[in-house]
Amino acid sequence: MSYYECNLHVLPEGSDSPSRLALVAKRLGYAGIIISNHSSSGPVIGTEGAKSVGGIEVAWGTELVAKNPQVLHQKVASMRGRVDFLAVHGGQDKINRAACEDPNVDLLVHPQKDGKKLGVAAAKAAKDNQVAIGLDLGPLIKFRGGSRIRWMNTIQKDLALIRKFDLGLMITTGAYSHLDLRSPRELAALANLLGLEGKVAKDALAFPGSILALNRKKWILPGVELL
Amino acid sequence: MRSWLPVLRERRRYIAFELDSEDVIQKGDLLGEMYSAQMSLLGDLGASENQLRLISFDGRFGLIRCSHERIEECRAVLATVSFVGSKRVAVRFRGVSGTIKAATEKYIPKSILQIDEDKKKVDLGPVSGSVARVRGREIDIYPDDQAITERSGTRYVGLTSFDLRGGDINADGTSDGL
Repeated sequence: MSYYECNLHVLPEGSDSPSRLALVAKRLGYAGIIISNHSSSGPVIGTEGAKSVGGIEVAWGTELVAKNPQVLHQKVASMRGRVDFLAVHGGQDKINRAACEDPNVDLLVHPQKDGKKLGVAAAKAAKDNQVAIGLDLGPLIKFRGGSRIRWMNTIQKDLALIRKFDLGLMITTGAYSHLDLRSPRELAALANLLGLEGKVAKDALAFPGSILALNRKKWILPGVELL
Repeated sequence: MRSWLPVLRERRRYIAFELDSEDVIQKGDLLGEMYSAQMSLLGDLGASENQLRLISFDGRFGLIRCSHERIEECRAVLATVSFVGSKRVAVRFRGVSGTIKAATEKYIPKSILQIDEDKKKVDLGPVSGSVARVRGREIDIYPDDQAITERSGTRYVGLTSFDLRGGDINADGTSDGL
């Protein structure tokens, strides 16, 4: 299976260039990486260098940050044609809900930030609009003790919702540096502790690849492809 | 003393790993961090079943012993090791084997780490700094402006030779300095 890491942050936001992340990700066994800096940060440094790294696919996406739903919908509409992969920075109830209601969004990352939950209404909307939910394992890796317990508690409730509505799931580390990256097998082992069986975790790690392939086709209308 | 019958002997696995770190890490510090990560993630009960031991560690490559049924749990535990003291690290699995000899021969090469003494300056426009160390195509830069590494908590900025030289036709990115 070809695994993808779907939410990486590079210079100037993270501390690594895209080519460094690509080299390390390739060594860890990924088939591709998706660079998605927050839309509030400056232009990416070192896009040229990433093209020279062979054996791994480097795709360009973005993680939209918006204050309110109106701004989010505007940004999604303007960015959709420009990037291959469109993620939304979750964490506020309103933004989570709005992202799930927009069919142009590929992925809602960490809707659980700051103890928020996904919610039934948002999960239903995500099912209808085929928005995937991003499980950011960064807190599981970095936090210890109480904060990690609270995070795991929220995640387990959201995973129950994801299972109930059969939502698309992607697993990521939300890395800011190559030291934050983990291999697909390690992520699957961590996800296993949260109750995701091996097959589900592996599918979640390979899912971004199929979304990328869909996005790269030329759609003139929903369901109509230009050949 | 008579040895155990083969069916009664406990079965072990040896995990060869590589430590990706920003600074020199002592064996004892790594061991402490491993155990604390294990206790924090799995608790006393899980830790007792893992039987995790650090067999050897030379600063870059090392060998860990665990129970043969608990490899995935150990993988998860070692994935949560991201700091040793205040230094950023990452543990990379290289392979798992049933004996120390096989694990060493198959997965642990002789390590070569080039510390760059010249402190060459690098300027990429918005990012500039001096070269801290080089491993194959991977180059660590000590940035002039520390604010850039604030969010990742790292000390260095990670670049590759592709960023500095631009295009390189023969580059396939396989070199890891071994």
